[in-house]
Amino acid sequence: MPALSRLALVPVPLGNDGPELPASHLGKALTVKGRLETSGIVHIYGTVNGQITADRLVIGAGSFVEGDIIANDVRIGGRFTGRIYARHVTLDGSADITGRIFHHTVTVAKGARFDGRMPWRPLNFFERLEHLREAQ
Amino acid sequence: MSMFTRNDKSFDANGTGTASARDKTEAPVAPIVETKRTQPPAPQTYEVATPQTRVVSVISKALKITGQLESTEDIQVDGEVDGDVRGVSVKIGSNAKVKGTVYGDTVELAGTIDGKIEAKKVVLTSTAHMSGDVVHQDIRIESGAYIDGHCRPEYGKAANKNTHAAAKPAATVSTTVSTAAVRDKTGPVAEFGTRV
Repeated sequence: MPALSRLALVPVPLGNDGPELPASHLGKALTVKGRLETSGIVHIYGTVNGQITADRLVIGAGSFVEGDIIANDVRIGGRFTGRIYARHVTLDGSADITGRIFHHTVTVAKGARFDGRMPWRPLNFFERLEHLREAQ
Repeated sequence: MSMFTRNDKSFDANGTGTASARDKTEAPVAPIVETKRTQPPAPQTYEVATPQTRVVSVISKALKITGQLESTEDIQVDGEVDGDVRGVSVKIGSNAKVKGTVYGDTVELAGTIDGKIEAKKVVLTSTAHMSGDVVHQDIRIESGAYIDGHCRPEYGKAANKNTHAAAKPAATVSTTVSTAAVRDKTGPVAEFGTRV
């Protein structure tokens, strides 16, 4: 029963208002060392080493990401090491993850590999995180 | 059933008797085919949202990157990069800002660079704002472009042999192979991150 009431609280993915910003696409051959910040959508198919802040993040199959992720909606199909702070997390069957996933709701596909912990957090935890984002 | 009869009447009203007859026979088949087609790609639309034609990587206008970007393919920057960019064909869009060095075979600038360009072929369009040196082999500057710095035709020459390693030697054109061979004799090619 508590699980149902929890679901009711989940915001619609892409909670940001206003016109949708063009998505960033980091291709297979691209390597980024450093921080990525956007209020829009990011698709990663290459390698990223560093912190990522986005509204919606897609880490495609075959990619490798290392670092922390702060986002509203995260979908992972590649290799990831680090921490995820996201309201909604989706792990595809090709995902290979080491670390922690701080989430409100999570979806894990059959075949996904995950080594670590998945702590559940209330929605206001992620709101506070957005304030932390600037301080970091 | 009532819908079909209504449609038939409207077709008749238009006066295309043969067309309505054809529609009658094909109409029940067509929707089935369509649903079959639309069902499989539906889950993919989430992942492949950006239509990619030529440009491989896009840093959109909302994205800010603090750090280095390296690619063995093309890069289009429309956002903000605080750090170096390395690619084969690098395009800096009109609202983009780059603080750092941009390396590539071809660099097309329509935005702002505060740093340096090192590329075989450089194009500064009319909206370009370049603060810093341009090391090139071939340059085109359109009317309206702003440059504050030196333009030196020294790309691939001895002075910057280490920075020339932007693209892997195998990917370079045959004319540069000779210089690459010289580099191999003189010593190991510097890694991406190293600077002179």
